[in-house]
Amino acid sequence: MSAVPFFFDLLAYSAIFVLVGLGLGVIASMMGIFNFAHGEFVLLGAYTVYVFQLNGIPTWAGMIAAPFVVALIGLLLERIAIRRFYRAPIAAMLGTYAIALALREAVRALLGGRFYSVEAPLVGSFVFGEVSVSQWRTAVILITALVMVLCWLLLTRTRFGLQMRASLENAALARSSGISVDRVYATTFAFGSGLAGLAGGLMVPMYSISADMGVPFLIKSFLAVMLGGMGSFEGSIAGAALVGATSAALPWVIKPVVADLLVFVIAIIIVKFRPEGLLSKWRR
Amino acid sequence: MSQVSNSGPLRRVLPVVEIALLVLALPLPWILDDFWVVFATKMIILALLAISFDLVWGYAGIMSFGQALFFGVAGYTAALLATKSEVTSIFILLPLSGLVGLALAFVVAAIVIFGKRIPSVVFVALGTMTGSYAVERLARGWSWVGGQNGISSLPRLTAGTFEIEEGIVFFYMALAILVAIYLAVRFLVRSQFGLVLAGIRQQEGRLGFFGYQVQSYKGVVFSLAGFIAGVSGGLFAFHEGFVGPGQLGPVLSTQAVLYVLFGGVGTLIGAVLGVSVIEMISYALPQIDSLGSAIQEFLETGWPIVLGVLLLATVMFRPTGLIGLVVGDRERIGTFGRRMRGADAKREAP
Repeated sequence: MSAVPFFFDLLAYSAIFVLVGLGLGVIASMMGIFNFAHGEFVLLGAYTVYVFQLNGIPTWAGMIAAPFVVALIGLLLERIAIRRFYRAPIAAMLGTYAIALALREAVRALLGGRFYSVEAPLVGSFVFGEVSVSQWRTAVILITALVMVLCWLLLTRTRFGLQMRASLENAALARSSGISVDRVYATTFAFGSGLAGLAGGLMVPMYSISADMGVPFLIKSFLAVMLGGMGSFEGSIAGAALVGATSAALPWVIKPVVADLLVFVIAIIIVKFRPEGLLSKWRR
Repeated sequence: MSQVSNSGPLRRVLPVVEIALLVLALPLPWILDDFWVVFATKMIILALLAISFDLVWGYAGIMSFGQALFFGVAGYTAALLATKSEVTSIFILLPLSGLVGLALAFVVAAIVIFGKRIPSVVFVALGTMTGSYAVERLARGWSWVGGQNGISSLPRLTAGTFEIEEGIVFFYMALAILVAIYLAVRFLVRSQFGLVLAGIRQQEGRLGFFGYQVQSYKGVVFSLAGFIAGVSGGLFAFHEGFVGPGQLGPVLSTQAVLYVLFGGVGTLIGAVLGVSVIEMISYALPQIDSLGSAIQEFLETGWPIVLGVLLLATVMFRPTGLIGLVVGDRERIGTFGRRMRGADAKREAP
């Protein structure tokens, strides 16, 4: 039966999108900034792993390092540039777009415009009776699930999560209650970037690295966040899972090129008619 | 917006810049050799694309990250007509590219702009960018339009029996089209229609309460910008003798954004200036020998990185762009409709 590996693949691709979408969603809903450089953070995560492999260090070490490296870069960018944009969402959009351009071209210069592939740390597949599934994809799904749970715990069960949600709800009141909103924002941005870096690191074996790999991720995860609705944790996840699964499933049915177009058009039209997101009815 | 001073006579700098640029451009083919004339023609054509972005973003506040979509599809249409049906007359192809751009812009506007709700800026930006990206993907995978390679070795444009070669003739033709469209757009944005656009840009909701059909105004201006981008795309295709998927995608769309933000958003001449300065620097800088070989080598591959940083710096420190150095806020925002002067103004004032 070939249905199980098929759904398993869908799950693996959705998992990557969930990580990307979650990072974007956290930044967008906590800080009101649509980070156009998010796709490039994914790219940087992937590139980190590539650099590790190039220097003969095992790729799993690169994958562990990727989120931290990218979070650090995110933190740096936040301190230099992005903190100026909190009051001006449009300037933020243009500013992060400029950052994206610089990062993408920097990676392109480093890669020399070619495509590279990286081997997965786990090769081979698990066999259950007649069904065999790739070990690496299983790992991706499990790691994503774990990260999701940890994120949820962080947001709802820790002191920092409380401060984050307070800053989102009412920045002025949070500030007067002694929360350093500035620091919370910086950490949130770094956290969101780190998630993108992790996604980039994990997916390297499934895609090949090129400078332009970030753009489709940016667009799709944007659609995912808007589909799920701004400002909700579960919305981002649901939206990302939906976009990821559809864009992985449709190419099996129709031509891949047409499938991409279809996913975009459907998503845009849904967002147009439900700007608050698909889950908005459930939440109130 | 920063404080606009209302006192003192208005010093008008913009017309000076406009005339200076035109005077600079007119004798170019007599001074420069062929290579530079072709290069300058390309800049003129790209200036049209920049103007189309400036019109939607700088004047109506519609964030279009997909101007290249109209540019490229118009280019493809013209190229297909020229190669498959052997139509090369400029009097057919150029208006047609404009109309293709206009129609496509209208379709995009119907999706991202029209509707009961006011769409958020982010949604419009994302919608247009997605359109541009999706169509680029489509063109790359569709062999009938040349796939990855696009359509190359296009025939020359003809006017009657005369073939329009790249070089002096094409230069003056493009310049004439640029000046005509520039003047038309300048008239448009300084008319009462332009005043409504400025209102939409600053306070869309309030304009709605005044009873303006805000979405229709935005649709009209977006379609017009599509027309301009289309004309630009048609010219570009025949000037380069080539159309490819790259002319459709987000990269070129961003380029248009870059030109306009760098040159000065909300002034038409800023768009033209941005194209000229960025194109010239990006060509000339890696050629300068005195910079030292290391810097030169870096610039050859790393110039787009510098562009990104430059754009970031512009957004952060000088949102009015290059033109903001010489033109004040008051002149940039400008006046609308018929100008009232002296006795006329007194008579018309109640």
